[in-house]
Amino acid sequence: MALLPGRGVAASLMAFLLVGAACSSGGQSSGPPLPGCNSGTKQALFWTSHTPPDTDSEQHIVDAFNKQSQTTCVKMVAVPGSETDIAKLTTAVRGGTGPDVYELDRFTVAERAAAGVLEDLTPYGAADLASNYLDFAWKEALFKGKPYALPDDTDARVLYYNKDLMQAAGVDPSQLDISKGAPTVDLVRTIATKLNKKVNGKYTVLGFAPRLNQGWHYTWGFAFGGSFFDSTACKVTPDDPKIVDAFKTMFWDWAGMLGVNDLQTFESTYAPDTPPLPQAQDAFLTGHLGMVVSGDWVLGLIAKYAPNLHYGITYIPVPHQGDTPATWAGGWSVVIPKGAKNAKGGWEFMKFFAGEAGQRTYTQETTHMPTWKSLLNDTALFPGDHALFRKQLDVAHSRPALPVGALYWDQLTIAQSAAEHHSKDPATALKSVADTVNAKLQQYCPLAS
Amino acid sequence: MIAAPRFRLSVDDRRNLRTALPFIAPWIIGFIAFTLYPIIYSLYLSFTNYSGFGDATPAGFTNYQHMAQDPLFWQSLGNTLYYTALAVPIGVVVAIVLALMMNQNLREVAFYRAAFYVPSILPLFALTFIFIVLLNPGFGLVDYLLGLVGIPSINWLGDAAWTKISIVMLAQLGAGGPALIFLAALRAVPGELYEAARLEGAGPLRRFFRITLPLITPVILFDLIYGTILGVQIFTPAFVLAGGTSGGGAYTAGPENSLLFYVFYLYKNAFQYSDMGYASAMAWVLFIISVVLSFAIMKWSQQWVHYESS
Repeated sequence: MALLPGRGVAASLMAFLLVGAACSSGGQSSGPPLPGCNSGTKQALFWTSHTPPDTDSEQHIVDAFNKQSQTTCVKMVAVPGSETDIAKLTTAVRGGTGPDVYELDRFTVAERAAAGVLEDLTPYGAADLASNYLDFAWKEALFKGKPYALPDDTDARVLYYNKDLMQAAGVDPSQLDISKGAPTVDLVRTIATKLNKKVNGKYTVLGFAPRLNQGWHYTWGFAFGGSFFDSTACKVTPDDPKIVDAFKTMFWDWAGMLGVNDLQTFESTYAPDTPPLPQAQDAFLTGHLGMVVSGDWVLGLIAKYAPNLHYGITYIPVPHQGDTPATWAGGWSVVIPKGAKNAKGGWEFMKFFAGEAGQRTYTQETTHMPTWKSLLNDTALFPGDHALFRKQLDVAHSRPALPVGALYWDQLTIAQSAAEHHSKDPATALKSVADTVNAKLQQYCPLAS
Repeated sequence: MIAAPRFRLSVDDRRNLRTALPFIAPWIIGFIAFTLYPIIYSLYLSFTNYSGFGDATPAGFTNYQHMAQDPLFWQSLGNTLYYTALAVPIGVVVAIVLALMMNQNLREVAFYRAAFYVPSILPLFALTFIFIVLLNPGFGLVDYLLGLVGIPSINWLGDAAWTKISIVMLAQLGAGGPALIFLAALRAVPGELYEAARLEGAGPLRRFFRITLPLITPVILFDLIYGTILGVQIFTPAFVLAGGTSGGGAYTAGPENSLLFYVFYLYKNAFQYSDMGYASAMAWVLFIISVVLSFAIMKWSQQWVHYESS
């Protein structure tokens, strides 16, 4: 028996309704307040790609905000993502299911704003907050002169060294005392060589490997006095001779000295990227790495996981005796993605999260540093060695905030890898970076500050 | 001359079609909305500059021209073809061996079939993490076992010379799926052929190469084409190994970009560099490469595929 056509239409309509009902979302912005929120508040969704212990602190800030807000109830969700990968965000925004606030690596704000992912914060009066923030951090939050983010933290990098390992190898750790200024690369190399220890042909202790942890291209480029961007010409300048020299000395020569395969075996064993070891097993904390360039957050890790570690802190090594030490400051920011359903509530939360109250909590709990200027004068926030990082901020460099920031970072990383593996000499590799990035950058020039 | 029969629907056929169409309409609309439209739209996007937001601006053939001059495009293509050329033939051999093992007349064969198939249903994401631990040069099981027989330690995932080999090895954990198809093909081989061969004095090897292998060549062809199409789309292991899940890795795509596979580079362009136009152009070039490879394999197969009907 054939079904009547009318019944077929009815059946397909029913199928559509069922599929439609299954696909529709319940809505997120007008849901009931979460525990800890005040009644009558409207929900705002906050996405972060951070991981513990940073997210623990962020949850504390969210809880504090929810307690005092009479209009907004923030729900924090940890999502996949990284400094340069925002696939989860872009697909959600396109699908109309994006968050109201997203935490974004600040050096990519200009890039994401240029791509049209972010809301311009000018209508919310963000520009009025500018004077509260560190100048470099605020500039990173701008694109074409308009604010697209609020900077929520910053950091700085130094050289950590393990005094016990040095003494065991007959090296006097006082050579690296910070009062003597920045150590030279030669001195660090000499000490590092004495600390190296191999068992069955594999390093079990490595004195120093420039690329580990925060030993990035930017780190050594700045340390050697290089400049990564020419704002007048609107061109990236990775082929600056000083950066080429940094790549040659710190990546090409150093990997050659240690043996790149042996270095990689050490890294895979004691300091793998994927999956990263639990922080308690960090190579420096467990005594497998004599010296490492890293940031202020390591202070918190030492206090938590290796309270008896006998360590020191000094400036990042410089090429010549007497050179001015250099470091760089990074950090994150909060933004409103396009299509946010509760942008107003999101903005209320952003002001709290990246404001004085939020940054105070984050600084205390994570040993990062605030971008809120008045907090930098609160010495109680910078106990012990943290005070040294605070001082570094005054002279720290920052990565150029470009609409091709993620591409530039990746290209530099490729050149760094090529230098370490001796597959392309640094000058050629960095010239290739310049060509690739400048080709993409030109469409945005001139860049308004 | 005989005229070609004209395709005509009878009144009943037309009535049935009218009845059937609403029932399959959800699929048709879904196919148009979620498959056909994106395919056509991506072709359009490949001729534009588009970040994924705002308006796409016409760019002519610049995305395709840029591809020709982009060293990373060529490196990603080279990495992908290298991987495919190794992983697919090895995958066929491993799947046939697995199928032969599953086809043994043993009481506990059902258990072995399940055991061999289990890795195929595990998420590739999870398998990759397991592999990372197994292949660790410091405490991994693989290097430990190699060390017992005097083979020096290999940094499987840290040495550019070994990274792709590692992923080829990883891909073999998924051989259970094709092995089931080969198992079905093995069981379809008429038993009397083996009987006759045995009477003629043919040993197991000769029976395999003279009877089994020729009769399962259609399935080998299917597996080669299917494996090649999947092989050129390799993504997940590289994404996991290159730190796509945690970020901040020392490499963007493995040491010396050795894991920068085609789709991984496409993904980076789309979602990290906000260049949907270039990513779309790359997707179309990959589609053309897949079609060309498939036709080449089909053409080549005429020399060695044995169809029973022919």
